[in-house]
Amino acid sequence: MAVHEASRTGTEPTPTPGPRSGSPRSGPRVRAAWVSTVVRLGLAVVWAWAGLAKIGDPAAAEQAVRAYRILPESLVPAFGFGLPFLELGLAVLLVAGLGTRIAAGLSALLLLVYIGSIASVWARGISIDCGCFGGGGAVAASHTEYWQEILRDCGFLVLSAWLLWRPQSVLAADGLLSVGGAETRQSPRTSG
Amino acid sequence: MSMSNKNDVAPRAARDRLREERAREAARSRRVRQLSVVGGVLAVLVAAVVIGILVQSSRSTGYDAAKDAPAATVGSSRLLIPVGAANASAPLMTVYEDPRCPACGEFEKAFHTTVNSLVAQKKLRIQYHVVSFIDRHTGGTGSRNAADALACAQNAGLFHDYHDVLYANQPDETASTWNDKSVLLGLAKQVPGLDTPAFRGCVNDSGFGNWVSAVQKDFDKSGFESTPTVLLNGVSAYPTYKGEDISPANFQKWVDALDKG
Repeated sequence: MAVHEASRTGTEPTPTPGPRSGSPRSGPRVRAAWVSTVVRLGLAVVWAWAGLAKIGDPAAAEQAVRAYRILPESLVPAFGFGLPFLELGLAVLLVAGLGTRIAAGLSALLLLVYIGSIASVWARGISIDCGCFGGGGAVAASHTEYWQEILRDCGFLVLSAWLLWRPQSVLAADGLLSVGGAETRQSPRTSG
Repeated sequence: MSMSNKNDVAPRAARDRLREERAREAARSRRVRQLSVVGGVLAVLVAAVVIGILVQSSRSTGYDAAKDAPAATVGSSRLLIPVGAANASAPLMTVYEDPRCPACGEFEKAFHTTVNSLVAQKKLRIQYHVVSFIDRHTGGTGSRNAADALACAQNAGLFHDYHDVLYANQPDETASTWNDKSVLLGLAKQVPGLDTPAFRGCVNDSGFGNWVSAVQKDFDKSGFESTPTVLLNGVSAYPTYKGEDISPANFQKWVDALDKG
């Protein structure tokens, strides 16, 4: 991953390990970087939407958490108030492309927690709206949408998994800092 | 740097060492950069969460019964609106209703005549929990606006009449009719004595907003999940009471039985 970064520092080939085949300006790696950019921004939009939808009404966010009947009452406010901001934080990191792989890993972890919580509610026969994008709380049994909610979260999980696998993307702070890889050198036209 | 000199005749071992040294140096600085990014990322997230919790808790506290509750409300935090016979031995009906909830509208349509006549006969006391969660699901501010207007009416001593007028004129659950406070003020004209400058000011300023939030929070924590929730002396009475379906006749019978008991 660091091969291009190293090669720009001198004319001599360096022994740094990493994939070295193909031109840096084209080919599958660049295509993957563009796919990762789209995925990264897509996941950012998801988190931003989820977070913003919840911050307007703290009491509703609190109740959405309470309705899962998983956390003790003493922890309900902290999760109800804090989770939307965690989601917004992830959105900011993903938009900036800063620490993409960590942000993707935390996204995946958070989504697994969400999927597990929804499954747990479903298994216990409680009827709630997941409150994933605002709202939440008890609903009539006929209005539950657990499977759609879980399927949707699984879709987001796939996005996170892609970014874990291919965190390098264009238009990313990681590229400027040369942490995630050499994308700034790969696509100077777009990331400059 | 000597590495740029291609004609350097340094022994192979020395060149290799130098090369390894450079690789190690590059790896080290990459690790430092990576660690600082990890640190930065975690700092951003922790800061976001901590700030979020602080901001949201400060926004969601602040109910003070002494100054936020409407006049003549009852309960330890004055979240309940009492209606009917002052004598504490009369059977007590506890009602949780959201002004926008269609099932509450159905309940009121079917039972308000029976209930009001029992109240007039001093056979029944009521405590209303005016909750307002439909806005969360359906959007808009109709529940909160109406709950606030009901609190303003309670402050003017005219809660129950206005309550009946609102349910008789309840818009469709998904309609945004009550987002417009002037509609609620217009309905107040049907209650003699309610349409005063004080009431209009109270409604327009959401004068009991804190109280409305506190009542809803109390409902959130109550464990009751839907409206209407109706209790007779603490026992669930809607849609059934001790195995019997609710109906005006049955309701009358239940209250009579409790009244004698």
